[in-house]
Amino acid sequence: MRCVVLRFLGLGLFVSFLAWGQSAQRNGGDFSNDTHPVTKVPTGVILVKGAWSSASDSVTPVPEDGSVTNNVFRDQYFGMTYALPRDWTEKYKGPPPSDSGRYVLAQITPGDSFKGPARASILITAQDMFFTPLPATNAQELINYTKNNLQADYKLELPPTQTRIGGRPFTFFAYWSPVAELHWYVAASEIRCHAVEIVLSSRDTKLLESLMLDMSKMEVPAEASPTAGTGGGDVPVCIKDYASGENVIARVDPVFTEHRFNPVPVRIIIDKEGKVKHIHFLSAFPDQAKAITDAFKQWKFKPYLRDRKPVEVETGIMFGRGLRPATGNASVE
Amino acid sequence: MIKTAKRATVFALAMLFLAGMALAQTDPGVQSASRGTGATIITTDPNGFLPFFQDGQNRFNDIESVSNSPSNNNGLGPRFNSNQCSSCHSQPAVGGTGAAVNPQFSFAGSPVAPKDSTPYFITANGPTREARFPFFFNANGGVNTGNPNGGVEDLFTVSGRSDAGSCSLQQPSFNAAEQANDIIFRIPTPVFGAGLIENLDDSTLLKNQVNNLNNNFGIAGAFNHNGNDGTISRFGWKAQNKSLHIFAGEAYNVEMGVSNELFPQDRPLPGEDGNGGSGLTGLPSNCLNLTGTGYPEDTSNPTSTPQAAVLDDVSAFANFMRFLAPPPTGGVVLNGQQVSASTIAAGASLFTAIGCATCHNSTPGTTQVSNFVPALSGAPVNAFSDIEIHHMGTGLADNVSQGGAGGDQFRTAPLWGLGQRIFLLHDGRTTNLNAAIEAHQGHGSEATNVEENFDNLSQQQQQEILDFLRSL
Repeated sequence: MRCVVLRFLGLGLFVSFLAWGQSAQRNGGDFSNDTHPVTKVPTGVILVKGAWSSASDSVTPVPEDGSVTNNVFRDQYFGMTYALPRDWTEKYKGPPPSDSGRYVLAQITPGDSFKGPARASILITAQDMFFTPLPATNAQELINYTKNNLQADYKLELPPTQTRIGGRPFTFFAYWSPVAELHWYVAASEIRCHAVEIVLSSRDTKLLESLMLDMSKMEVPAEASPTAGTGGGDVPVCIKDYASGENVIARVDPVFTEHRFNPVPVRIIIDKEGKVKHIHFLSAFPDQAKAITDAFKQWKFKPYLRDRKPVEVETGIMFGRGLRPATGNASVE
Repeated sequence: MIKTAKRATVFALAMLFLAGMALAQTDPGVQSASRGTGATIITTDPNGFLPFFQDGQNRFNDIESVSNSPSNNNGLGPRFNSNQCSSCHSQPAVGGTGAAVNPQFSFAGSPVAPKDSTPYFITANGPTREARFPFFFNANGGVNTGNPNGGVEDLFTVSGRSDAGSCSLQQPSFNAAEQANDIIFRIPTPVFGAGLIENLDDSTLLKNQVNNLNNNFGIAGAFNHNGNDGTISRFGWKAQNKSLHIFAGEAYNVEMGVSNELFPQDRPLPGEDGNGGSGLTGLPSNCLNLTGTGYPEDTSNPTSTPQAAVLDDVSAFANFMRFLAPPPTGGVVLNGQQVSASTIAAGASLFTAIGCATCHNSTPGTTQVSNFVPALSGAPVNAFSDIEIHHMGTGLADNVSQGGAGGDQFRTAPLWGLGQRIFLLHDGRTTNLNAAIEAHQGHGSEATNVEENFDNLSQQQQQEILDFLRSL
């Protein structure tokens, strides 16, 4: 009897060992037997990023921080406040800034409750004029370039015209696509060396006109205000290519070891003593951002003087490979 | 009387509903008429490459064994997604993308993969797929979002095959990965016209990129680069591969497990060499050198004849892809009716007008002078792609980084041949063009504004775009 029990136990052990051998699953790497995981990869979140935007501190405003809250678009960097039409909303956030210095600040569409003959969209973008490869040095030239290089599918409705919105000068132009029956109204102004553009598009021109009227309520920095680019108070003056020539007293170039072939546009704020106070990477891999940050610690600039007093300067530097400049005509015709 | 009135009301409502359905735009679906896709681009052949195309096509159709193949097609595994290039690249012709009947569905339990189970995401008529885990598992089996993985987790093993000796391997933990939301998929990219894309020089692409920046849709874009020489890479869903040679060599190694002159070792799973704390130190010794002839399993054949036979398989595959003609456009049938040429032309105009062509550029340029065949020289590349990578937002993001492309960046998928593709987007999640277009909109996507423009069109205009797309 005892022998039978032992045999039975032995057989049982053997069978269970076999079963273990066949079904035991590894953990780690590509293997897991955790079929009721506590931790899951969150949905709708980009955890693995390529070249992306970042900044040396989270206090100094950057352009991409603009957002729509309570039906109002606000962007502290540009000093913009834009109360949206009722029931309009930002359903989807824009992409990160590009390595050519383009921002999608907001993309706004009517909510589900909108009632009208046609929908529309409001796209607010900014182009950092330090980094554009297009042959334009300011917002007006950028608009002219766009107009001069419209694709054949589009027809001009209104050539670039100077106007004022919120007390600030804007360049406005309009075009449409006869085949799509879509109209685009584009208004652009230069703020802090960026061409800030508001692009309205719809099939319904009355709706577009009403949106244009609504834009008059938009708050933007006055022409002479520090935020407009002239600097003053907490806002630096923006100067293209300040980080060059005699302005640079000491410079150590960053060494890229991992990622080397992408454009890395960087905006910096130089304090009154000529040290780098703030770094904004429009598009950089983390290893590049670190190399540039380490290098900037050793940079020293000649302080920028206004009325013989030093003021803070905001400028841009392109590391890595810049984009090839476009050819074309940005002049007024 | 009341009953009659009710019936009339119901009838009227039903008619309204049906009328509404008729108005909604419809994807014409996969166009079945032969368009001649899969032919060679070679018309004149002063250098004698046509036999290389034909030889490459034959090898593309070869079925690989682990060892002892009577036709000497050895080297499969020890892990693989399929055993034949053309089993995955077959729709609508050899060199294309996944077919209506998924060959992977029949592998498990058959002589191809006798000990394996069919992963839950492989179905008889679903997309042919590869799988990746964006993140490694920890030693306790939990997912570690701080440890990115992203490599291909081959679906099958050679375990139990009569030509694989004692090699016994565990399949990756697909079910656990699903539970942890740690799995993404890719479908095969078609390679028609790939030789033209390969022969676009960087200057052309860079010029096209800058021209495209002149748009009011919020679109920018970037290029992926080869990490060694810094030139623009262009093949694969994230434009991570530089050339057709590298593309073929990597696929032979990763998808079929065949080591070759470009990738000379058998490939373990991404974590099979210890990453994530599995305790593994690579493939077990009894799963190595399964052919018994050493490495690489695919080599050149110096003493073979004719000339094309001297090449290794990878070079032959590259030649086949290089000399495949771009997919011809063709007529479109919608609900049994032929769509008019004017409708398709209107759709093409709309496609450009609303901004789709900013990325899906009909012709990003013409090719540089080719040393292979005249047909690859100075030829327009009507790929409907800028070959750039774009942020596509959270809805399409897969949290896999390849080269310089991040988890939400994808190459603009070339749309040539779209009319005869079954499964759409990088993971084959839909067969419907409407759904594929809709998926372009999302948090962080560069295409949101353009998709909004599509929504702003009339239903007839939207239909014209769909008809046009199925003509490609």
